Amino acid sequence: MTAVSAHPEGVRVQLDAGGHSIDAIQRAAYRLCDRLSVEVTSNGDNWSCLVTSVDGCGPDPIDVADFRVEVIDQVLRERIRDSTEQTRNMILSLAFSGLVDQAPE
Amino acid sequence: MIALRGRIAAQRIEGLDRDVWRIGDTTPSPDRAQMLRAGTIPVPGFGLFLVAHDAGILVNEPPGMSILLPIELSYVSTGDVIAITPDRTGVRVLWRTASPVNSVLLTEQCDNFCLMCSQPPRKVDDHWLLEQATELISMLDRDTSGLIFTGGEPTIFGSDFLELLSNCREQIPDAAIHVLTNGRRFSNQAFAEDYAAVAGRSVTAGIPIYGSEPSLHDFIVQADGAFNETVNGILNLAALGSPIELRVVLQKHTAPWIREIADFIARNLPFVDQVALMGLEMTGFARSNFNDVWIDPYDYADDLAEAARHLDSAGIPTAIYNHQLCLLDRSVWPLAVQSISDWKQEYEPICSGCEVREQCCGFFATGRRQVSAHIAPVMRTDPLEEAEPNLTIQEEFSYQTGASLVGLNSANGDIANPPLDDMQTTFVMITRKPESGDPE
Amino acid sequence: MTFHRLPAGRVVVANAAGEHVLLERSEFLELSEGRLEDLRLIRLLRSKHIIRDPADSLPVELLALKVRTRYAALAEFTKLHIFVVTLRCEHSCQYCQVSRRSSNREGYDMSEATAVAALDVAFRTPSSSLKIEFQGGEPLLNFELIQFIVQQAEQRALELDKDVSFVITTNLALLDDNVIRFCRTHDIGISTSLDGPRDIHNANRPRPGQNSWELAVEGIRRVQEELGHNSIAALMTTTEASLGRAVEIVDTYVELDLLDVFLRPISPYGLAIRSRSHLAYDVEAWLRFYSDGLSHILDLNRLGVPVVERYAAVILRKMLTNDESGYVDLRSPAGIGIAAIVYNYDGDVYASDEGRMLAEMADTTFRLGNLHEDQYEDFVLGEALLAPLDESFALSAPMCSECAFERYCGADPVYHHATTGDFLGRKPLSAFCQRNTGVFELLVERHHDDSFARGQFRKWASR
Repeated sequence: MTAVSAHPEGVRVQLDAGGHSIDAIQRAAYRLCDRLSVEVTSNGDNWSCLVTSVDGCGPDPIDVADFRVEVIDQVLRERIRDSTEQTRNMILSLAFSGLVDQAPE
Repeated sequence: MIALRGRIAAQRIEGLDRDVWRIGDTTPSPDRAQMLRAGTIPVPGFGLFLVAHDAGILVNEPPGMSILLPIELSYVSTGDVIAITPDRTGVRVLWRTASPVNSVLLTEQCDNFCLMCSQPPRKVDDHWLLEQATELISMLDRDTSGLIFTGGEPTIFGSDFLELLSNCREQIPDAAIHVLTNGRRFSNQAFAEDYAAVAGRSVTAGIPIYGSEPSLHDFIVQADGAFNETVNGILNLAALGSPIELRVVLQKHTAPWIREIADFIARNLPFVDQVALMGLEMTGFARSNFNDVWIDPYDYADDLAEAARHLDSAGIPTAIYNHQLCLLDRSVWPLAVQSISDWKQEYEPICSGCEVREQCCGFFATGRRQVSAHIAPVMRTDPLEEAEPNLTIQEEFSYQTGASLVGLNSANGDIANPPLDDMQTTFVMITRKPESGDPE
Repeated sequence: MTFHRLPAGRVVVANAAGEHVLLERSEFLELSEGRLEDLRLIRLLRSKHIIRDPADSLPVELLALKVRTRYAALAEFTKLHIFVVTLRCEHSCQYCQVSRRSSNREGYDMSEATAVAALDVAFRTPSSSLKIEFQGGEPLLNFELIQFIVQQAEQRALELDKDVSFVITTNLALLDDNVIRFCRTHDIGISTSLDGPRDIHNANRPRPGQNSWELAVEGIRRVQEELGHNSIAALMTTTEASLGRAVEIVDTYVELDLLDVFLRPISPYGLAIRSRSHLAYDVEAWLRFYSDGLSHILDLNRLGVPVVERYAAVILRKMLTNDESGYVDLRSPAGIGIAAIVYNYDGDVYASDEGRMLAEMADTTFRLGNLHEDQYEDFVLGEALLAPLDESFALSAPMCSECAFERYCGADPVYHHATTGDFLGRKPLSAFCQRNTGVFELLVERHHDDSFARGQFRKWASR
C-alpha cells in the first residue's frame, strides 16, 4: 500500500514495510537516479520516500509513477527469485553438469 | 475360414502318454505322428497316426494309436502340431506351417473384461494350455521366425509364463515373439525386471490402450485402476528397454476420442516401438455387446486419419489394422496393413471389382459379419499418386518415414505389403527421423 | 497451471510441461471456479494433465517425465560454435554493424594460432555433436583458414568420438570451384542472405552495379546444382521496407526452391533506444507481416508445396513435443554460452553473436574473455556468463514465471540488456515479449481452428 503526498521539497511516497523490503526500494531508486533522488527513512510500519528531481525543478509526475512501478518490479523480482530459487539452481546446475567431468588441459 | 479345433471322430488312444504331437514326414519316430490320407501307407514306428476323414482307413487299422480327424481338420500336414484336449474328446491345431504367423493361446483367464473382447474371459483353471504350449515350443524347428502368445491374459501365470519365454529364447532363439497382454502386471517393478531380463529385444508386448485418462479406458475394460496399472507397466518396460506395441481398438466409445488418444500417446509415450489402430472383430463380447460397440468406420474416417498422421509425425511407427481401404482416408493408405490372419480372412462379393483388393485386409470371417454401409470397390489404380500430387518432394518429409515400410506399395513399387509376422521384425528396424539442424 | 487470455475471449491454459488447451471463456470460468461438469471437458483436462483426481499420482509422474525430458538436453551444453574468421567484407550493407572494408588482413583476419586456441576450447564441450559456423565479415575472404579449421575439427572429432558439422555464412560472391569442391568433400552447408525480391534485397545491400540480388540468385542456384538443394539455406534480414511484402518475399524463396523461410524480426541492434510508441508500432506492423507470411506459406502447403516457416517450426517443436529447440534466442535458461559461443577473429570470446555485435558498439558486457589470456573454465564459469543466465531465468521473472507461453519462449538477456540496460527487462515494455506473445497467440489459434494447419504444424514440430 502506498500513499503519495505533496512535500515542500518534492513528493513523499509511503510504502508499507511489510510489503516492500528496503533492498527493493533502494534498487528501484538507483534505477531512476538519472532523474530522481530518493531519500528513504523509516516511519513506524512504513518506509517514507522523499522523491525529488535531480535538476531541482520538482519531480515530474511521470517519473514518480515510474518510481512506483519500479518499486513493484523490484519487489516482485525479489519475491519470485526467492520462491523459485531451488528450481532455478537445479536447472542451471543441470546445464553445467556436463562440465564436471572435464579434465583441465 | 480354416478351423483350428474340432471333435475327434473316432479314436484308439488308451495309454497315450502325450497330448501334443508334431506331424513327421516319412521317417518314423515315436515322437512324431504320421498323417494318413487315401493311399498313404502307414509306417510302423510313429507314436501316433492321424487319419484324414476321407482316407478310407478305420481307426483300428494303423500299427499304433490312432485318431480319426473330422473333415474340418483333415488339412493338417507335415510340420504342423496338434494337441489333444485333456478330456480326450477334441483336437486343437496348435501350429500350421502354412500360416505366415501362428498364434498360441495360453489361457482364457483375464483380469480385464473389455466390452468388445473377441476371446471372452472364463474363470477356469487352464494351466494345461500353458503346459501344451511349452511342449509345442520344444517341437518347433530351431529357426522358427516368430509367433504370437495370446489369451486371456498370458501374464496371469506369472513366473510359469516367464519360464515359457525362457524356453523360447533357448529353443527358438531367432523367433520374434509377440505377447498380447494388458500390461497391468508390469506395473510391479520386480515382475517387469524379470520379464525384461528374459524377453530381451526378442519379445514385444502388445498392450491395448483405450483412453487418454482413466475414466474412458477403465470403462471399456470394465476394471477400476486398469489404466494407471497399464501405463505404469508401459513406463516400467520402457525404462528397461523392452519393446512395446500399443494397440487401440476403434469402437463406438474410443473412435470419437481417437485424436485425443493419439495425442496422449505422442506426448506421453512417444518411445513405443509401434502403435496399431485396429478395427473391431465382431466375435465374442463384441458380438453380444454389438449395440454398444459397433460404429461404421466411415463415420470416423477423418478422425482416424488425423490420429494416424499425428502419430506418424511424432516419429512413431504406426499401422492401421482391420480397416478396408475403401473406408480409409487415402492419406493413410500407406499405413494400412494386411492384418487379418489367413485362416479367418474373407472378402465380400462386391469386392470382386476392386482394384486394390489384393492390398486390402478384407473382412473377418469369424463372428457376425457387420459390414459398413460404405463398402465399395476402388476404381483407381494408383491411389498414392492421387493423394500426394507432389510425391517427390513429399518423400523427404516425416509423413513417409517408417510408416511407408509397413504399408502399401509405395510409388517406388519396391516395398511389398508384408504380412503380420514380417511386420514384427520390420518395426524393430524402423528408425525415427533423424534430427535436422536448427536455425542459427 | 498457467493461463493467457486471447484477444477474442478464449483462454489458453498450459501445464508445467508446456502442453496447452484452448478453452472457451465459459469453460475457463468453470475450471477456475472449480465447478466443472461437462464430462468431455473434464476428460480433456485430465488427459492434458491440467487437472487430476487427487488420488491419482500418474499425472504427476508423467508431467515430471516430460519436464525432465525437455531439460535433459541442457547437459549437452554448447553445440553451436561460431568462428568469426575475418571481419573483412567487400559489401557495405546498411544494417551491418560488424564488417570492415579493408585489405588489412592482419588487422581483421583470425590467425591460425587463434583458430587452434578456439578449437581447443570448442572441443572441451560435453556435447556429443558440434556445429561449427563460419561468420564474418565475409568468411570466404579467409578461406584458407576455413579449410584449416575444418580439417583440424574433423580430426579432433574422430579422436573424441564426437560428430561435427559445418556451415559457412556467405554472400556467395566469392564462391569458386575450389570452394565448391571443398564443401562437397566435407559436406559443408551454406547459409546466405536473401531479403526478398530484387528491390528489397538491393536496397539493403548496395553494390557497384546494383546487382546484389542477381549475384545472390546466381550463387544460390549454383550451390543447389553443385552441392544439392539440401545444402543451402537462406535467411532474410527484415527491415521496415520488408513489412507489407511478406507474400512477395515468400514467393521469391519458393521460386528459387528455397523451401525453408525464416520470417525474422527486425533486429534492434545498432539502433538508438526508441520511444515506447515507436516500439509498439513496429511490433504490430511486424506481427501483420508475420501473419501474412505464415498464412501464405500455409496456402502454398495446401497446394502441395512443402514450405516451412522456421520460426514457427522452432516454437511448434517446443509447443507440441517434449523436445527443446537448439535455437539460441528462445531458450530459458538463455542460450548464451549454454547453446552457442562465439570466437572472434581477435581471440575474444562472446556468449552469442548478438553479444559480439554489441561489443562492436563498445558494449562488452557479453565478452567472456580472450583465447590467448583465459582458460575454458574462465569463459563458461565466469561471472560474465553466469550473471546474465541467472538474472534472466524466465521462471524467476515477474510475468514470465506465470506466463502460459513460458515453455515456448526464452530469456534473451542480450536483447534486454541492449534495450534497457538490464538482463531481465520489464516484460510489459519489451518488444521481445510483445512480438513473441503475438506469434504464440497466432500459432495456438491456428492450431486449434484449422485442421490442415494443425497437421502441417505437427510435421514442422518434428523436423
